[in-house]
Amino acid sequence: MQLAARKDAGFDVTRNGCRRAQRGFARAPLAPIPRVEGREASFASAVSHAARLLRAARQPHFAGLGTDVDGMRAAIDLAERCGASLDHAHGETLAAMNRVLQTRGWYATTLAEVRNRADHIVLIGVDLEQRYENLVSRCLRPAASLESARLEGRRITALGPRPAPAAAQPAEHLRCAQDDLVGVLHALLGLLKGAAPDVRRIGSLPLTRLAALAEALRAARYATLVFAPGALAAPREPALTLLCELIDELNRGGRAALLPLGGDDGAQTAQSTCAWLTGYPLRLRVGTRLDYQPEALSTAHVFAKGGADALLWIDAFGTLGAPPAGASGARSVMLGAAAPDADCEVFIPVGTPGLDHAAQLLRTDAVVSLPLAAQRDSGLPSVATVLRALLAEMR
Amino acid sequence: MLTALKGGRVYDPANGVDGEVRDIYLQDGRIVAAPRDGRPADVNYDLTGCVVMAGAIDLHTHIGGGKVNIARSMLPEDHARDLVDGHRHPHAGCGHAAPATRTAGYRYAEMGYVACFEPAMLATNARQAHMEMADTPMVDKGAYVLLGNDDFLLGALRDGRSPGFIRDYVAWTLKAAQALAIKVVNPGGINAFKYNQRQLDLDEQNAAYGVTPRRILTALASAVGELGLAHPLHIHGCNLGVPGNVETTLATIGALEGLRGHLTHIQFHSYGTEGDRKFSSGAARIAEAVNANPNVSVDVGQIMFGRTVTESGDSMRQYAGSAFADPKKWVGMDIECDAGCGVVPFRYRNKNFVNALQWAIGLELFLQVNDPWRIFLTTDHPNGAPFTSYPHLIRLLMDKSFRNDMLATLDPDAAAATILASLDREYSLYEIAIMTRAAPARSLGLEGFGSLGLGARAHVTVYREDENREKMFATPAYVFKDGQLIVRDGRVLEEIHGATHAVHPDYDGAIERELDEYFTRYMTVRKDNQRVADDEIRDGGRGALVLHPVKPA
Ligand SMILES: [Zn+2]
Repeated sequence: MQLAARKDAGFDVTRNGCRRAQRGFARAPLAPIPRVEGREASFASAVSHAARLLRAARQPHFAGLGTDVDGMRAAIDLAERCGASLDHAHGETLAAMNRVLQTRGWYATTLAEVRNRADHIVLIGVDLEQRYENLVSRCLRPAASLESARLEGRRITALGPRPAPAAAQPAEHLRCAQDDLVGVLHALLGLLKGAAPDVRRIGSLPLTRLAALAEALRAARYATLVFAPGALAAPREPALTLLCELIDELNRGGRAALLPLGGDDGAQTAQSTCAWLTGYPLRLRVGTRLDYQPEALSTAHVFAKGGADALLWIDAFGTLGAPPAGASGARSVMLGAAAPDADCEVFIPVGTPGLDHAAQLLRTDAVVSLPLAAQRDSGLPSVATVLRALLAEMR
Repeated sequence: MLTALKGGRVYDPANGVDGEVRDIYLQDGRIVAAPRDGRPADVNYDLTGCVVMAGAIDLHTHIGGGKVNIARSMLPEDHARDLVDGHRHPHAGCGHAAPATRTAGYRYAEMGYVACFEPAMLATNARQAHMEMADTPMVDKGAYVLLGNDDFLLGALRDGRSPGFIRDYVAWTLKAAQALAIKVVNPGGINAFKYNQRQLDLDEQNAAYGVTPRRILTALASAVGELGLAHPLHIHGCNLGVPGNVETTLATIGALEGLRGHLTHIQFHSYGTEGDRKFSSGAARIAEAVNANPNVSVDVGQIMFGRTVTESGDSMRQYAGSAFADPKKWVGMDIECDAGCGVVPFRYRNKNFVNALQWAIGLELFLQVNDPWRIFLTTDHPNGAPFTSYPHLIRLLMDKSFRNDMLATLDPDAAAATILASLDREYSLYEIAIMTRAAPARSLGLEGFGSLGLGARAHVTVYREDENREKMFATPAYVFKDGQLIVRDGRVLEEIHGATHAVHPDYDGAIERELDEYFTRYMTVRKDNQRVADDEIRDGGRGALVLHPVKPA
């Protein structure tokens, strides 16, 4: 990514940035002044107020978790100190993927494999223009590929409500509603297994077009099914399971793999770091004992029924907006790179990873991690710095 | 501070000490001579009735990186059977087959280990592997980086690039990934699987590149030798787990043509096809070949009965193995034009003919390879069994009657198919000290490790002598790391953080330019983002980077 500094200490992304990066980098940094009960406060007094708040809590809950690896390490250590539960803002999507992982697993691929090896890419209910526009130039239609014949002959199919982005054209479009995806994928699997459903169309999609897709996928040398778990209609497991089964079926005789897109707002970083430090992915309670409860410890649930009475909200990318409404009754500490969208007792402005401080982040494929250097000196502390100060205060 | 360890029986094969009662002195993190002036030590330990060895080293254990983390996330039911609370360890954790990083570090220390090496780090995943190892406390660590299925190397071999070019690329990769050695997994086979080849024997061509595993092996083994790395090419050969692969393994040893090579988890590569079930032990032939080829070392990858998870870069073989997943779930991946992986939970059963024979084959190998300097004690954690089964394995090696008692519980057909009962060898404490200390330290070039000689690092493990070797090795009385007492009676006293061991061999800068171009044109990260910086390893002072010298030919 290439950046050009602006007068307000924000940045313009001049190369290799997606729209999300542009928005993040364009934001001018907050003044490094915490607020306690609405009034400006010193860093030390904000930290000690937050520590008192957490100490007084019966059942604290840490959420948002938009942070880097080091921030997540500190969050887990602090959670262990206070017996807090942990959930990411995209915890619902993570939990759905984890359920599939823990019940059947999958065969997946990564960005460079798709870029170089795929000859047929199917975009399944995923709107690349909204979130993943860089994927087109990096993976779908790159300038060069190790397998130039596969790149030249690459077939791209959009299966879902929207066509493939302009830059990915030519691409066929098998139009169906997002809510029909489960039925469509089920029919596609039937077609691959030689058990075509006895219908003319699934929703608005003629079965003949789906049959042609099945045939093309069978003939592909390296078929890739691209999807975003977060974009699937809830409950997500039926569609996720079908996607896994489609790949299994294709891999019987040929080669195919899934490319799940997600991990936004630090979700992959939070999930992976949590898994190596505790053994468990999200969601869990960390204390003298680990308590893995991926459903019951959702942010919405713990404030509705779980008895959580304090919230630590972490949003170092400034992208998460307000915490779920259910948490609004609890006392709260917020660490954010953007001004808070909700009332909170303590607000501590923090730097954005890779902008205000150096950071390590994990990419959506859970393989590649990126080292990000600081781009400016805003005086904003990192999430890790704040949480370690909190932990020291609580000892 | 001067620490005196008095009256223990010392097994220090690096210095030829075989069970002599000696006093050992520790000061400033090193082993020092007894004070000449008779000055009393600041702390004295009476080790009468104890066995004293250098801190142990595991040179092949999957402790960090993407596939380990997939296994962790996949196995909450395995963790639930083995939760560790925050009173037992400095931090709460869990995990038997795929433990939390912290739990792994504590448990290694509690068994007297001071260094562990992750043998299958992907260059594209190196940063994460190092972050996980940074969060693995107590032990020193390091990793071997995978080559031999990456499109860059296969392209270079297809194009007939010079040995010097390959060498530069290997050197660049070692430094960029902060690795200590090079590993090859199913040479060319992981790549071939991406092109739908379902098997690849030593002299079969990878269809996409027209390159054979033999060519990849010799190119890498030569480069590693010419660069002067202490550890030879670490080889996970073709056809893992395939009945009849003993032929491939023997051919692989032959293919080295005298070049040094380390054949890892050799148990999984020692299978014949004799008998009604077309599955038999090839251990005797493999052991004979290892005995006859001093350029070769091996580790065993012993299996133990029970639940575990297999984590491997070998996506081709893991795909085949996924049919036997227990419980029925698994993950496979094709990764970044670099490698692949497969994570398959598995349960080895003593009443299953194949599993029982695998157990026996591992032990046959241990007992028939003569030179303990060239065979290392591993279970290929967690692929054969979790590392916590090492004390049990040591007992199997040291105690023939115990071994035979275990043999009697096996599937009877398997028991009849193994020569194990006829093997009388019992490992001595001296030999155990070789295979778990002195030999891995030497093989990896870890200066000051695996030795209790003057000037060596003060890594010392003290066991209470016990006829039951499993009990003895499970719970050391004391473990010192760099002179600091870190474990007493098998319990961690305090969390410390170890260093990372790596090599940075020199290379011609021209490779940088070519790789810049390659990454920019074909990959999805820049070359410089793939590189793990020294400061990332140092991690603000929590970690340390130990660079070992290389001795180019
Ligand atoms: Zn291994």
